[in-house]
Amino acid sequence: MPRLNLYQEEYYPSPIQNTWKEFKENHAALLSLYCVIFFIFLMIFGPFLAPYDPLQQNIDLLLVPPAWDNNGDISYLFGTDGLGRDMLSRIIYGCRMTFGISLVLVIISMLVGVALGAMAGMSKGLRSSVVNHLLDSIMAIPTLLIAIIIIAIVGTGLVNSMWAISLALIPQFIHQTRDIVRQKMKKEYVLAAQLDGAGKIHIFFNSILPNMAEMLVVQVTLALSVAILDISALGFLNLGAQAPSPELGALLSEGLTTAYVAPWNIALPGAAIFFMMMSINLVGDGLRSALRYRLLR
Amino acid sequence: MLKIILRHASLLILTLFVLSFFSFSLAYLFPGDPLVNLTGIRGSSEQEYALLAEQYAMHSSFIVQYWQYVMHLFSGNWGLSFSSGLPLAEEISRSLAASVELSAYALIFSFLIGLPLGFLSGLRHHKFTDFTLLTASVIGYSIPVFWAALIAILIFSIQLGWFPLSGRISLLYDVPFETGFILIDILLSDLPDKEFAFQDALRHLVLPSVSIAIVTCTIVLRITRRSIVEVMSSEYIQAAYARGLSPRQVFLRHGVKNALIPILPLLVMQFTTLLTNAMIVETIFSWPGIGNGLIQAIYQRDFPAIRAGMLAVSALVLTFTITIDMVIQIFDPAGRRPENATS
Repeated sequence: MPRLNLYQEEYYPSPIQNTWKEFKENHAALLSLYCVIFFIFLMIFGPFLAPYDPLQQNIDLLLVPPAWDNNGDISYLFGTDGLGRDMLSRIIYGCRMTFGISLVLVIISMLVGVALGAMAGMSKGLRSSVVNHLLDSIMAIPTLLIAIIIIAIVGTGLVNSMWAISLALIPQFIHQTRDIVRQKMKKEYVLAAQLDGAGKIHIFFNSILPNMAEMLVVQVTLALSVAILDISALGFLNLGAQAPSPELGALLSEGLTTAYVAPWNIALPGAAIFFMMMSINLVGDGLRSALRYRLLR
Repeated sequence: MLKIILRHASLLILTLFVLSFFSFSLAYLFPGDPLVNLTGIRGSSEQEYALLAEQYAMHSSFIVQYWQYVMHLFSGNWGLSFSSGLPLAEEISRSLAASVELSAYALIFSFLIGLPLGFLSGLRHHKFTDFTLLTASVIGYSIPVFWAALIAILIFSIQLGWFPLSGRISLLYDVPFETGFILIDILLSDLPDKEFAFQDALRHLVLPSVSIAIVTCTIVLRITRRSIVEVMSSEYIQAAYARGLSPRQVFLRHGVKNALIPILPLLVMQFTTLLTNAMIVETIFSWPGIGNGLIQAIYQRDFPAIRAGMLAVSALVLTFTITIDMVIQIFDPAGRRPENATS
């Protein structure tokens, strides 16, 4: 039966609009998107929001409990640590540092990984086979393990741990890109472009990249939560960010020394990592299911 | 089948070769004398040094040196640790066994919890139970493992005093080293108070294994749920319903098997994630495992221990994954990837 055409103009939402419509339906995902935006806001404007300097010590106010405690002080909302530093400022700076570093690392590994993956996906033969098999076995190793091994070799420190994590994240991007590129290379629109005489680079940027952008975003959210976990884990183990710096993992490990008398010093930084990871995971999940179901409705 | 075995064997040998070569070159990359970094013997007299140099063929070419190194590795001579002065092969096999034990129990635990919940969640797809479990799984998945362990210690060992704070077993019991798995060792041993030792070891195991199992549990739940949802909406399930089978029959005869087989490798692969998480949690619980050892070695710049520990962990993980991949491909033809990279 031919479709009844009542209106002169028909509105067809673009794929991105479809995705957004589907994503909006998922309240948890939407809420966590706002959380992620909040963390990005904190990352940019953190220094203006923090009430104190995160490194400023105050010997008169050691281990002040959080404001909701009976002995708490409202001017130190999250209390202070063993050296009298304000926890709220430290956590704001910590979120800034952990989130910002993870974001930078993920973007770097994405660029490198996508470039290598595209090359691996478009090449054929023995070389590609060897690369693929080696990659598959590297993929199986958790990133944190790779990062610990790299740190064991190059030594501890924040910059070294950043190198280690971005190196450890690259294989996932290569793998993902390679699989998608290989899928898309079989599509007819790529064949059409090839028949028009387009080169490999042109095909990748004009035919394949627009079609894989969404999957790439999902992969970035995954990698971002992994990077946050890794960088804070390394900070916690004293392998990454070192003691005075307000990185969330380093804050946790500093809080360990006073854990018995001041449990908020480990509860609050951990909760910050937890909320950060949860909002990113929820956004990633929501995005993935939105991509999966957007055409079904 | 022979082809599959051969391909995996060659991949395994290739990766192990790369690893061992890399660990050998570490002796040169680390600061200090390569020979000292290889053997871990410091401050030896000139004669001893000459003898060692002879053994490791330090005056020959790089490749001969590597060959000697591999021979030493195979004969169990992994060098000595800088910090303790003990042979590394023994130290690492002990600590690796401790880590593997911890992760193995955590894996079993997360299967016992994750699989049934995944089934439940998949069968009640997009219903209240599903959303509740999914929410719980997102929470569990996002908890940083070290924070979970710390909170668990704060609540269950300091506030409530239910479980011991750290270590593997109370110092009262002296369990002889047999397999490296403490529960098996206790059962094998002839201690006078076996049951108490066993209970004590179990109580020590609870907190670390549960805190690393949380993450894996949620991953298992999600993978299982996804697979069940996909299988239960497939056409042969509809056909089975159409033939008049009860939901129970459909699920048990057609659902479970078809949902589980494709995800089995994914589930088993979680062991590597567990091992990494175990390495972090070990430092919190002072569990005498490989993670604790490796991280201490990094702090103390104990180069022979870093080299050997890194080699042991990565060799274990790679051997494990490649073997699992091989077994799966042999037993599950549908899971075989295309043979050539060109496809």
